[in-house]
Amino acid sequence: MDKPYVELRHLGKRFGDVAAVADVSLDIPEGEITTLLGPSGCGKTTLLRLIAGFFPPDAGEIRIKGARVDHLPPQRRSTAIVFQDYALFPHLKVFENVAYGLRRRRVPGPEIARRVRDILDFLGLQGLEAASPLQLSGGQQQRVALARALVVEPDVLLLDEPLSNLDAKLRVRVRTELKEIQRSLGKTTIFVTHDQEEALSVSDRVAIMDAGRIRQVGTPVEVYTRPADRFVADFVGIANLVPGTVRALTVEGLVLDSPLGTLTLPPRPGAAPGQRVTILLRPEAIRLFGAPGPDRIPARIRSTSFLGGMRRHHLQVEAFSLTADEAFAGTGDVGGQDVWLTVCTGQVHLLAGETA
Amino acid sequence: MSSESLTHLPAPGLPGWRARALLREPVTLVVGLGVGGLLLLFVLWPILEVVTYAPAGDYLRLGENARWIRATTNTFRMVALSTATATLVGFLYALALSRPDFPGRELLRLIAILPLFSPPFTIGFSYLLMFGRFGVISHGLFGLEASILGWGSLWAVQTISNFPFAALAIERALSATPPTLEAAARDLGGGWLAVFRTVTLPLVRPAVAGAALLVAIYVLADFANPLIIGGDFPLLATEAWYRIDGWGDLRGATLLAATLLPPALILFLAERYWVSRRSYVVIAGRGSSLDRPPLPVSLRWGLTLFCGLTAGLILSLYFGVVAGAFTRTWGVDWTPTLTQWGVALTKLDHIRNSLVFAAAAGVGATVLGTVAAYLVDQKAFPGGRLLDALCVLPAAVPGVFFGIGYLLVFNRPGVALAGTGLVMVLAFTFHNLPFSFQIARAGLAQIHRNLADAAADLGAYRFRILWDVHLPLIFPACVSAWTTAFVNSVTNLSIAVFLVSGGNQVATFSILGLIGDNRLEAASAVTTLLLLTTLLVVGAAWWLSRGARVIPGVLGG
Repeated sequence: MDKPYVELRHLGKRFGDVAAVADVSLDIPEGEITTLLGPSGCGKTTLLRLIAGFFPPDAGEIRIKGARVDHLPPQRRSTAIVFQDYALFPHLKVFENVAYGLRRRRVPGPEIARRVRDILDFLGLQGLEAASPLQLSGGQQQRVALARALVVEPDVLLLDEPLSNLDAKLRVRVRTELKEIQRSLGKTTIFVTHDQEEALSVSDRVAIMDAGRIRQVGTPVEVYTRPADRFVADFVGIANLVPGTVRALTVEGLVLDSPLGTLTLPPRPGAAPGQRVTILLRPEAIRLFGAPGPDRIPARIRSTSFLGGMRRHHLQVEAFSLTADEAFAGTGDVGGQDVWLTVCTGQVHLLAGETA
Repeated sequence: MSSESLTHLPAPGLPGWRARALLREPVTLVVGLGVGGLLLLFVLWPILEVVTYAPAGDYLRLGENARWIRATTNTFRMVALSTATATLVGFLYALALSRPDFPGRELLRLIAILPLFSPPFTIGFSYLLMFGRFGVISHGLFGLEASILGWGSLWAVQTISNFPFAALAIERALSATPPTLEAAARDLGGGWLAVFRTVTLPLVRPAVAGAALLVAIYVLADFANPLIIGGDFPLLATEAWYRIDGWGDLRGATLLAATLLPPALILFLAERYWVSRRSYVVIAGRGSSLDRPPLPVSLRWGLTLFCGLTAGLILSLYFGVVAGAFTRTWGVDWTPTLTQWGVALTKLDHIRNSLVFAAAAGVGATVLGTVAAYLVDQKAFPGGRLLDALCVLPAAVPGVFFGIGYLLVFNRPGVALAGTGLVMVLAFTFHNLPFSFQIARAGLAQIHRNLADAAADLGAYRFRILWDVHLPLIFPACVSAWTTAFVNSVTNLSIAVFLVSGGNQVATFSILGLIGDNRLEAASAVTTLLLLTTLLVVGAAWWLSRGARVIPGVLGG
């Protein structure tokens, strides 16, 4: 990897007794969207605000393009933030909102006019220059906030849950737009969200946070298919976490005893007979059949949710509960309550160092 | 929900950290110390002066003073009676105002607001016109000629004067109860009365208690109505004035005023406590567009009749004042005339003084209140709690007490301020500081922190943020702070009586003089003129600030 564009080294921030950010180190590469993903109160917004400079860290360093910035006030950092509530100045028109950062930088008037017009055109906001932010729809407000941040050409764009105030349908559309805008500008972007689906869909890299710490950093595919631990597995996507014990290592692979019976997984170095492990089964790694067959495990359907493109079944295998997805083809669905399942062992991940 | 809960934690750091941060902001430090100094000088000093003026021995002998005992018991009796009736009337009135299906509720609201814009003694004065010796109703209608001065009339006047405060406070709470709660209770099988008793009433009970305390504070502190209507029913506030006016007995006056302070403080603290508890009313999700279920027909008609009569009474009282201004001799010679306006014009200087002093006090209170609010809320000033307490303290101090305090400290021979308009302006400024301070705080609270952070993020430094973000957004709050202080000062009598002299006469004092001389018609003309100019100025202030009135804090979530 090239030298990181933004470097966080051993960052810490406490509020009273709460360690909001604890010993966080993270490299953020140039031109990509890096997402900070985690549940409420995990410290992701605090981390973003540390990068923006709204308060100083208690410990650690922040570097942007190699230069230390953690002692600088927000005015002197080359970051621009889009707030969750957009924080548009309600007493200024759209034009003046967008021009605000340029005026503070003493950009000459004609250039301000040109740059504001260009960014408004680019974001499809032409014609709204004289509108009050209060007259705009949520989606328009969000784009004005984005324009206000982008127009100052920051080195790093910070997005603090920018989609959470939009309704569900718009959110999906805007996140696609956001990704396309970021791609076309190549702007290094740090995106904060608690929505794992949003994180997986927009990010080049995802850092999953919990209790002020980063649990894993990786591409969306990596964190989904090879989560570092139980927390990440559970937080990103739907996880069936099945306890197992290594029975034997054979030429075919790893033989495990589990509540689902005996499973044979691809070989894995370091596994020893008798070791207890946790098996991650994503819902799509389970295949359902309407009739018994060799190696098929009998199960009962407790309930089913129809999700449009697929059905999500909540299954019972003896005392063990599982969630399984079945692509919906309009016909040929498994009827009745008794089903049989097989596990696609190629899609199974063993959680390292986890004992169930 | 997101991780935003973390960003809403209180400002980080220990007092030491704050103090260090403040040393890096010398301007804030200097301004903070300046505001603190002014508060000590113009709030704390006069209060302490009143309490310590009489030697401790005088306080110990109070129990032997029959006149003092009578004034004290009378005061508490009047507070209890008037609070009970004003709150009850206010509650019924509020019930009507809070129902969208109630006929003419906007008109009812307007009429209830009217007393807030007029001198506090207007009701007492017009009561005199209606029910006095030559009153339209008592004498004109029923041929009575008995004097109505006394505690019964005062009780009626205090009820009418103060129920609007209760009504407006209770209506806010009633309107804030989600209609869905009532609907849910009815859905579960409750009749109207049962729902009202078990759901609505418990929800607004804190608001009702708060309203009652508010009324009690006003009745306790009122000076003008007892002076005009009270007759030989001495109260603490009026007795204090008579001690000074009649006997020049400052010591006796401070004893009476000091007696007012503990109950006023207790009521004030209790009211603040209740108000702070009031916020549990709404635990609902999104707002609902559900209409409130209609009132039962009989109740609706009863309320209509009641509120119509109450509003009619207020209107007729105001009409009496205006009519008096065009009458030759009230109750005797009803010939319409403009001669009273000749008298009113001779008092034009006093009206001008009233307007100028009040406008200046409005500016003073607004600037000081806004600066103090900014220091307390945005700057985590180390002495913030003390600053906060000193800013709201005058609200707990009855006007008479405050007036005597200023008389003792600033209006004595040898002090340059004595007898000037400035001493009046200062007294009005600091007595109104609590209002402007709280309005400014509420205004600042509307401005989300993110706006200032956004400006900082885009390159604005501290004063630039203050100028670009805080000032424009707090401006509407400043206009209402100014308006409040202006109206309170123009209509003030309780402080003014202790500070007037030849050079700084104000209109309320001349009106009192005219009433005292039984020149009721001329008093009517001056009152009408004062009311008109006040409303004109207030209207102009709102009109001038109309462009700046955006509603902050409604963007995004």
